[in-house]
Formats: sequence, structure tokens, C-alpha cells
Amino acid sequence: MTAEAAVFAVSCTATPEGARTLQQERQLNQFLAEVERRALRIAEIAVRDRDEALDLVQDAMIKLARNYGTRNSDEWTPLFYRILQNGVRDWHRRRAVKNRVMVWFRKAQPDDNDYDVVESAPDPMGRTPDENLQNSEAMQDIELAVHELPRRQREAFMLRTFEGLDVAGTAIAMGCSEGSVKTHYSRAIHTLRDRLGEHWQ
Amino acid sequence: MNRTDEQLVQQAKEAFDASVDKLDATTLSRLNRGRQAALAEVARPNYTWMHWMPATGAAAAVLIAVFALRGPGDIDVISAPASDLEILLGEESIEMLEDLEFYSWLDALELDGDGDLG
Repeated sequence: MTAEAAVFAVSCTATPEGARTLQQERQLNQFLAEVERRALRIAEIAVRDRDEALDLVQDAMIKLARNYGTRNSDEWTPLFYRILQNGVRDWHRRRAVKNRVMVWFRKAQPDDNDYDVVESAPDPMGRTPDENLQNSEAMQDIELAVHELPRRQREAFMLRTFEGLDVAGTAIAMGCSEGSVKTHYSRAIHTLRDRLGEHWQ
Repeated sequence: MNRTDEQLVQQAKEAFDASVDKLDATTLSRLNRGRQAALAEVARPNYTWMHWMPATGAAAAVLIAVFALRGPGDIDVISAPASDLEILLGEESIEMLEDLEFYSWLDALELDGDGDLG
């Protein structure tokens, strides 16, 4: 086969459509790999259950790929977090209904105190046990305080502080105005400062 | 935001980042599986029209049932367009189509109002 024939054969098999899909898949893979761990922790703080958080993150990833995979990659971060926040909101609604039914039938509620925030796996960053303990305790404090924030304040704080979204991106993710984001964020910090006390300053 | 607030935010972010770094291998593996499932959605063709297939099928079935139940008395309604088609495809009609320019010219003359062809 001549060189021209080989080029022609390759161009026939690798259609522009196929190449575009491959490129898109690669970009999306990179984006999701970058965002998935922080997204998991954000969801986990909101629902206080790792398995549920994993399901929520996977669901958000699938919805993003299915509905917005062809969008410009710059738009993915706020869209992804919007999907995730909607998922978290739905989860809380379902849980509230479930709890009402449980109360109605006077069944025992799951004990939140059993929730284990600190994983026992060795630290991949090579921190000492003392440092780990300090970080873990600090995270437990902040996690509990953030979890207890009103929902909109919690969303604004986590998206701005943990994910590092700007005000505009947070507004898209929360589905509200930039002014509302600033208000919720400011109130969240005020509340956290009051709750976390002196040892955090 | 004052200095104390900035410190609080910074400390919270550091604690959060540390907790992200400490995620165990099982969790990371599950995240990876979730990501692969999401990526499979990109490669899958999006046949949105297929979502309408059951509704379209049901509508077609209803239409067929209605026509079948109305009986032979209403068949004329269906045959009317067929007879129109016959006329259109008749030899004379084709001749008329061939002389379309002539008829257009004739119409234009009549619209001008003189109507005198002689």
C-alpha cells in the first residue's frame, strides 16, 4: 500500500466526528479527574455519608457528560456543581420525607455519631500522626460547623472556599444572583467565626 | 472580610485540602469507576428521538384503530385525495403544465383588464 493509500484509509476510519468525540472524552476525563475528590468531600460534608456522597458525585458526573458534554469546557465547573447541589438538595428532601415516615412509625433513627470522618489509611502526603490528628480534628470541627450552616450559606461557603469558584461561577452553580452569593458567603463566615471560637484564630 | 475572617477561610481551606489528600484507595477507585461510567455517556449516541417512539407508536395505533372502526361509509373521505391525484396525473394536466407559461401570460392579460386577445 502506498503512503497516500494509507493516509486515505486512516482518514476514512477516523472520521471528524469520531476524533471530536475522542477529544471531548479526553477533556472531560481530565476535568472530572481534577474535580471528583473535592466534589466528593463537599457532597460528604453536605450529606454526612460517604456512600451517599459517592452516588451523588457519580450521578452528577453522568448527567454532566450526558447533557453538557458538548459544551465549552470552561462552563463545566459551575454546571457540574449546580448538578451536584441539586442532587444534594433532592437527597435532603427525600431524607426529610423518609424521616417523617420513620417518626410516624416510631422507628429508630440512624445514629449520626457513628459517622467516621477520619479514614485510617496511611497518609499519602507523608504527614506525621500528630499533624494528621491536628488536621483531622480541625476538619471535624469545620465539617460539623459547615454542615450545620443554613443550606444556601453552606453551598456558598463550600463552593467559594473549598472549590475556589469565583462569585460568578458560584452564582451559576447555586442558581442565584452574584449579590445573593456575597450575602450568603458573608453570613456563613460570620456564623462560622461565632461557632468555631477562639482556637480557630 | 477582615484579617480574622481571612485566617479562618485559609485554615478551613487547608483542613479541607488535607482531608481530600487523605481519601483512601477504595474511595478513589469508586470515584474512578464513576468517572468511567460518565465518560461512556459521551461515546454513546444520543438518540433523543427514541424517547418519542412509544408515544408515536401509540398515536399511530390509535389512528389505525379509528380508521378501522369507522367502517366503509367513510371510505370516500380517504379516496377523495386519491381522485385528486388521478386528475393531477392525467394526460391533460401534464399538457397544462407544459403550457404553464402560456397560461401565466393569459392570467396577466386578464388582470390588466383589457382581456382583448385579438
